[in-house]
Amino acid sequence: MSGYNEERLASIKARLKELLVSELSLEDIEPSEIADDEVLFGEGLGLDSLDAVEIVVLLQRNFGLEIQDMEKGREIFYSLDTLAKYVHDNTTA
Amino acid sequence: MPEQEAVKVKKRGNRLGFMAFKAAARVFGLRGAYGLLYFVCLYYVLFDRAAVRSAIPYIKRRFPGRGPAGRLLEAYRLFISQGRNLIDRFYMVSGAGKFDIDILGYDRIKSFLQGPTPKGLVLLTAHVGNWQTSMAGLELFGRKVHLMMRPEHNEAVREALSVDGGGERIGIISPDGYLGGVLEALKAIKDGDMVSIMGDRSYGAETVEVELLGGKVRFPYGAFSIAASAGCPVVVLLTAKSGPMRYVVDVTTVIETVYTDRRRKMQDIGGWVQEFASALERYAEKYPYQWFVFHDLWSPEDEVDRQ
Repeated sequence: MSGYNEERLASIKARLKELLVSELSLEDIEPSEIADDEVLFGEGLGLDSLDAVEIVVLLQRNFGLEIQDMEKGREIFYSLDTLAKYVHDNTTA
Repeated sequence: MPEQEAVKVKKRGNRLGFMAFKAAARVFGLRGAYGLLYFVCLYYVLFDRAAVRSAIPYIKRRFPGRGPAGRLLEAYRLFISQGRNLIDRFYMVSGAGKFDIDILGYDRIKSFLQGPTPKGLVLLTAHVGNWQTSMAGLELFGRKVHLMMRPEHNEAVREALSVDGGGERIGIISPDGYLGGVLEALKAIKDGDMVSIMGDRSYGAETVEVELLGGKVRFPYGAFSIAASAGCPVVVLLTAKSGPMRYVVDVTTVIETVYTDRRRKMQDIGGWVQEFASALERYAEKYPYQWFVFHDLWSPEDEVDRQ
């Protein structure tokens, strides 16, 4: 059994999908087309380093989150799933 | 000019002349070393077609109306200026002496760094002047400077790091690192440090088109994205030799990176990059022989950087 509130995690993922499409101007993608475990950089969604900068801003503005340990960025930004779990663990419902 | 060929030209210059310049500087001082330049640079102007060809696009733009002979003369002056830069660099790195450095815009930057919310900033620079003097000037701000670059591509940086280790004053953020080093850059700024990024060459990064010296060029905009995300300004860092033993470090151009509308942020980014290009143009007007542009910025083929 995971330590996550699955319903809340699903809600966070849905919100992140919407934000990624709107904030990163992903014109040809609908939020529903982003898989829950979609890899964000390189393959998968194919985001680049400047998109990472925008995701940092997106987390600050929408979830009040500042990534304290940038060295954990590789884990956090790996996929939509890891990003959502980071938000889940660092925010309250 | 293809990047590989440009590197070959640069290496040829170092291999042929640097040993002689070092010896001349030791024996005869700076002026003696400078004197050698007139002969060495004449050789390049007359016999190194690739070197001259690499300088012509900039010379044509900066000195419009010059004929072929006039452009050769300007290339000669440009080579001499770059040679002096290299000799001065050696002079500083070897500990043989120091230059007087005037920092224009010091107070404003200092007050920002000492503001209520400790934060760093982004320095946007170009292939101008003397990198060593800009680092010496930045020491006065008391913050570590992180260079976003590949150190194997920059001899000046290798020299500085080998002389004093760099470690506490200078760090390297490699764009080959995870996500191009942007997370490291954001952390550095958050820690109150300065992140220096080259602004007149893209090295494969995303670019926007701006006006420069009567034509259109493409400059990278990553520095502005990082600064906007970090909530700090972009400070244009330019340095120039202003006298026989004097350099000026100019940090007067400060570009605030606050989006007017995030949905149209590329418009803002385009405006900011244009401010940088305009600062470079003013610099080229004042110090035409200290911006070392040895490739065609205005050619679409320069987009090889973006591949």
